[in-house]
Amino acid sequence: MASIIDIKEECALHVRNFDFTYKGAEAPSLKKITMPIAKNSITALIGPSGCGKTTLLRSFNRMHDLYPGNKYEGEILFDGRNILDPKEDLIHLRTRIGMIFQKPTAFPMSIYDNVAYGMRLQGIKNKTELNDRVEKALKDAAIWKEVSDRLKHDANGLSGGQQQRLCIARAIAVEPEVLLFDEPTSALDPISTQGIEKLIIELKDRVSIIIVTHNMQQAARVSDYTGFMYLGDLIELGYTEELFVTPKEKLTQEYITGKFG
Amino acid sequence: MTAVQKRIFINKLALVFSTLSAVIALAFLFWILGVLVMKGVSALNWNIFIYEGAPPGYAESGLKHALVGQLILVGMATGVGVPLGILAGTYLSEYGKNSKLANTIRDISDIMMSAPSIVIGAFVYAVVVIPMGHFSAWAGAIALAIMMMPIILRTTDDMLQLVPGTLREAAFALGAPKYKVIMDVVYRGAKAGILTGVLLGVARVAGETAPLLFTSFNDNFFTTDLNQAMPSLTVTMFNYATSPYEDWQQLGWAAAFILSMFILGLNILGRLILLTRKKGK
Repeated sequence: MASIIDIKEECALHVRNFDFTYKGAEAPSLKKITMPIAKNSITALIGPSGCGKTTLLRSFNRMHDLYPGNKYEGEILFDGRNILDPKEDLIHLRTRIGMIFQKPTAFPMSIYDNVAYGMRLQGIKNKTELNDRVEKALKDAAIWKEVSDRLKHDANGLSGGQQQRLCIARAIAVEPEVLLFDEPTSALDPISTQGIEKLIIELKDRVSIIIVTHNMQQAARVSDYTGFMYLGDLIELGYTEELFVTPKEKLTQEYITGKFG
Repeated sequence: MTAVQKRIFINKLALVFSTLSAVIALAFLFWILGVLVMKGVSALNWNIFIYEGAPPGYAESGLKHALVGQLILVGMATGVGVPLGILAGTYLSEYGKNSKLANTIRDISDIMMSAPSIVIGAFVYAVVVIPMGHFSAWAGAIALAIMMMPIILRTTDDMLQLVPGTLREAAFALGAPKYKVIMDVVYRGAKAGILTGVLLGVARVAGETAPLLFTSFNDNFFTTDLNQAMPSLTVTMFNYATSPYEDWQQLGWAAAFILSMFILGLNILGRLILLTRKKGK
């Protein structure tokens, strides 16, 4: 039986009895997941490869819909609505729930255009407003000092760590309510990783964050809540300090002490 | 001879023969280019660009008609073939993906690419020239466009597929609709590759004679009337080179030289674009 804590504070998302089945698969990859995601907090998802943590993360912005044939069952409640509803407006949903990927995904355009991209999609054309918001997003992503004199340069000229911060700037420029991080530092060096972690912690005042990570230390360093997943089940969700020190489930304990995974 | 010595000997023998074969193949290429440059350059003069075709023996004869006709034909073919090829390639890579329909289109386009060009000429003759009742620039351009399309379609398809899927996902994750993802992110990422495909496609059809022989036919005079037969460098070259008149043969060499340089230029440009793109990465 899974051990899921009852979150007292306000929640950004509620996952209820959620099943996810990939196209052509017989058994669901995620089984009856029920978990609250606290607002303005960082929730980390950990677990061995193939446990379904990225699959769960990519359900929050319905990324699986890009590949036809996948099946959602159950509910993910966001702002009182079930976002798994087939009639859900995905374009609108994705402006409210942003995502940062494992590898930096700078678009083949200038640094400025990268950050302005999401805002332009929303129809913002006013030059002054765009300029102000690009600058603010880059400052918030702690990369403004490095790029302020070369905003018109190709974004692909930046280093991996800079590109990842650029992607964060691009995501926060549209002011989402939730940000999903899919192993955002696994392609980066330790110093860039430190920078991104610091940034993630700073961002939680404004957005609710869910982060998938292979790195347990990272989960311990940045998150408020941690969920441990195994073979498509959510085994335990708890306060990060408690989960890593006094796990309630035997499986969690075995995983965090390195017995498997 | 020990086993090792024998292997070394065979190795050297293979090296000698393969080098020799390469040299022979290259020798023919340079021979062709050499003759072309020698005969072509000596046949070049300003009259070629000023005057149109004239009966043999006239000093004031040139290739203006064929040069302009060639540009019109290739230009029209490009205008039709490039958008169709790029759009079809976009369908294959972004919408059809690995579906049965998409793979069938890929196979058919591969077959079309290796179809004898004269067959395409015959097809256009049957469906355009005969119903119209006469040769026309339209028919020639359609034949060239049909030849160009599969080349551009396949390169576009390949180049779009090289754009990483995560880049598309990142654009979707920002709330971009699919057409925006394709236009803003995928096309941008594949820009250099698509352009190269277009240049190579144009270069490929610019040297074709067979599909023009009975579509746009030929004319010895300057014309811009798209409803009439239209001269082209290739067909003009064919007619002049096979004629018994010395001055016409000279013009044939000049046409061959100009056409080859044009196509060589396009090919080099295409390769340069690919090269700078690789360096940029």
